[in-house]
Amino acid sequence: MKNTAIYIHIPFCDHKCIYCDFYSLINYDNLKEYLDALKREIIYYADRYSKDRIIDTIFFGGGTPSFMTPNYIGEIISTINKNFILSNYAEITLETNPGTVEITKLKDFRNAGVNRISIGIQTFDEDELKFLTRIHNKKTAIDTVNNSFDAGFENISIDLIFSLPNQTKETWEENLEIAAGLPIKHISAYSLILEKGTILNKMVLDGKVKMAEENHDAELYEITMKYLIGNGFNQYEISNFAHPGFECKHNQYYWEYKDYLGFGTAAHSFVNGVRWWNYSSLKKYIHEINLNQIAIRGKENLTKDEMFEEFVMLGLRSKGINLDEINKYSSAWYFEKKKIINSFIEQRYLVEKNNYLSCTQKGYMICDEIINNLL
Amino acid sequence: MENIRNFCIVAHIDHGKSTIADMLLEVTHTVSEREAKAQLLDDMDLERERGITIKSHAIKMFYKHKDNKTYNFNLIDTPGHVDFSYEVSRSLAACEGALLVVDAAQGVEAQTISNVYLAIEAGLEIIPVINKIDLPSARVDVVTNQIVDLIGCDETDIILASAKARLGFDEILTAIVERIPSPKGDANLPLQALIFDSVFDSFRGAIAYVRIVNGVLKVKDQIKFFRNRNVYLAEEIGVLGLRKEKRTELSTGDVGYVIASIKDVHETKVGDTITHSKNGAEKPLPGYKEIKPMVYSGLYPTDSDEYEDLRDAIEKLQLNDASLVFTPETSAALGFGFRCGFLGMLHMEIIQERLEREYDQSIVTTLPNVEYYAYKKNGEKVVVDNPADLPPVGDLEKVEEPYIKAQIVVPSEYLGNIMKLAMDKRGIYKNTTYIDPTRADIEYEFPLSEIIFDFYDKLKSTTRGYASFDYDYIGYRESDLVKLDIMLNGEPVDALSVIVHKDKAYDWGRKVCSKLKDLIPRQMFEIAVQAAIGNKIISRTNIKALRKNVLAKCYGGDITRKRKLLEKQKEGKKRMKQVGNVEIPQEAFLAVLQLDE
Repeated sequence: MKNTAIYIHIPFCDHKCIYCDFYSLINYDNLKEYLDALKREIIYYADRYSKDRIIDTIFFGGGTPSFMTPNYIGEIISTINKNFILSNYAEITLETNPGTVEITKLKDFRNAGVNRISIGIQTFDEDELKFLTRIHNKKTAIDTVNNSFDAGFENISIDLIFSLPNQTKETWEENLEIAAGLPIKHISAYSLILEKGTILNKMVLDGKVKMAEENHDAELYEITMKYLIGNGFNQYEISNFAHPGFECKHNQYYWEYKDYLGFGTAAHSFVNGVRWWNYSSLKKYIHEINLNQIAIRGKENLTKDEMFEEFVMLGLRSKGINLDEINKYSSAWYFEKKKIINSFIEQRYLVEKNNYLSCTQKGYMICDEIINNLL
Repeated sequence: MENIRNFCIVAHIDHGKSTIADMLLEVTHTVSEREAKAQLLDDMDLERERGITIKSHAIKMFYKHKDNKTYNFNLIDTPGHVDFSYEVSRSLAACEGALLVVDAAQGVEAQTISNVYLAIEAGLEIIPVINKIDLPSARVDVVTNQIVDLIGCDETDIILASAKARLGFDEILTAIVERIPSPKGDANLPLQALIFDSVFDSFRGAIAYVRIVNGVLKVKDQIKFFRNRNVYLAEEIGVLGLRKEKRTELSTGDVGYVIASIKDVHETKVGDTITHSKNGAEKPLPGYKEIKPMVYSGLYPTDSDEYEDLRDAIEKLQLNDASLVFTPETSAALGFGFRCGFLGMLHMEIIQERLEREYDQSIVTTLPNVEYYAYKKNGEKVVVDNPADLPPVGDLEKVEEPYIKAQIVVPSEYLGNIMKLAMDKRGIYKNTTYIDPTRADIEYEFPLSEIIFDFYDKLKSTTRGYASFDYDYIGYRESDLVKLDIMLNGEPVDALSVIVHKDKAYDWGRKVCSKLKDLIPRQMFEIAVQAAIGNKIISRTNIKALRKNVLAKCYGGDITRKRKLLEKQKEGKKRMKQVGNVEIPQEAFLAVLQLDE
């Protein structure tokens, strides 16, 4: 039996935030059609992949999955449960935005099977929230965390963003302090990425907004790692921190190069070294599913070299490269790169421990540079 | 022979040389309108795009005059750029007359003046033509006066024309017949044929374009080139219509071509004389000159694995460009490449572009430089075409650099700007004359090195495009020159070394350092960027070590994208050049070309 993860994309949103480049829609037409399409897609893949697999995690990402009714989410979970073997210990995460859920709705999500809540707070600072065009304020953010806890969720994660334009060291530290005081087990802390096609990108191009300087960004990142590790969190990836045992199982499927199936618009799947992804457009997706039961937009059969590159990249970004497993992709790599690896270890960018070659905090800071040197 | 008229057209860029040529071909029925592509004589893509004629060609036309005689016109096209002035002089030598075409709105420009002088020196009959008289901005009176002043002709000698509106063509044709003399020369003398151009054909080899000055050339004759005395069989000869037309003989006064299984254009050098191998002429025609490159630059493959491909490409280019010279060279920073000599900046740009477009080469070019003469204390003279080769200061007695005489024609309100620019470029003022009350013709002397790369752009911008410029080489002079080296973490980057006037060294050093600081990406360690003269550091800046370089998110949907990005970076890294442990992007080597931006 092979453990496998399932990702479900919910493209619906209340509005588009300025930094967001995910596929999302701000109207709720086709909600019912989308649910039907998702179910058909799940059944199609279950026919092919369910026999020798246990579903270990389900992740509802978006968009804003918490906009959906608990029944909507519940129906998807039960479709998976009916057609795949769903582990009793499966981690089932729902991305939730503050201001979209009351405590009763949270309880209903829990009853529908969700057992992990990932809350898109981004920042507790009122000005920064306005800048990011989020619909919530500091109070709703904190309430949503507490309500989730009161609704019975033990496994709560929040997302925060640093290096926002004009963000100071002090406002960021304040964010971290508020976060550490909440009943959460997991934090994803991202440096703001300027994605093409976002409103933010246009603002920067127009000169209305200036992105943070590299030195400032570096300093905030250092503060983040230092503060969270000092407050009981482990860093298990560039931007992810968790109390021991509360690392996000789902994300580790991506990083440890395990199989996952993605359903819904723009969702990516990776099974047996083949990656494919769905159409982004909701209409196109529904149309394709109704016609063919699948809605594949693109596909790549990874070569051994490509798998090797991804394995090294994903490993260094997270817990490290498993030095036994790397041999599957390239047996000579370690010896060819031994000299540079040693120099990185000497300079404390890398550590080699328990057969894993991993980044130190110093290494995470310039991880892309290290990857470039090791490929 | 008395019915032959050999002539060329002299004009400033865009004054309508090509449209006049096209119209002549049309009105003599040499081509039908349908055949007449725009600017028919320019057949290289690049020429068409730039609107300039790089290589001269010739075309034959027949014209039945009102005296009922049919005349044989040979229009010899001339290159319009100062880089090719020697080729211009040889084309002129093949003619008896020239149409001087001046734009009715623009008036006389620097190139008009310099080319007219060349034509007058060559003894040509000049027929002045004011073109584009139908333009609303035409100033026929003003331009008429300018021309009268320039060549001392009579107002009534000037023909008013418009190639677009087909005005003035009868007058032009009549003037060609009546005013241009027929060729002189003697068909009974031994053969002397002047090569005024040559092209390379991949099937036929080098083809020489010739003007028979004396004697008769018959097909299958044994011919000899004066320059290297090699003997060939004239397999095919003919005249140049719209296409090549075979003939059995070419006689005195004729313009035509010779094909003789010649492997490349280095055998058929412009200016050389062809004669018979037996009973040939004793002397060549006067005026042959071995043309020397004026500007040098290093050409390196972007990817060092492609060195051999680049060599093949340059060799192929050289087959049809006798003025391109190259020798292999090595740079610590750029690896294996070639030092190439060019006639001038335009020639250099054309070669670079042709290498990239026609031969699909990706190249890095170093800052162009002139050829210096370094005199050592022990009396030895060293010719330096690569700044890295300048002997150490301690050994040097003096350094000489080439100078040019520049002619700048500009509306008088910009005189002040010209003076400022000239001062900045170490210009020596010589003289001003007025072409008309509003426009001045200024003469300056400049070190060639000061004008080879951004002078023309600056001239244009400081005069809102109104200035025109031409120059002539005048010889070597001593200057206070130093070699400026650029170092990264103490390692000199040979490809960035320049020879520069002492007074400009500090400014140059500071600018290069700051430009490099912007262009070299932060690396895992700090990089010291220094400019030095000998052992003396004159400028310094630091590139701080990289502090953060990591993409924040990488989930299921990001992995492919991120991997592709990595592959791209890896490819980019391969194209970086390494000096010591510092990686330098290719743009850094090009950036020194745009120091003022």
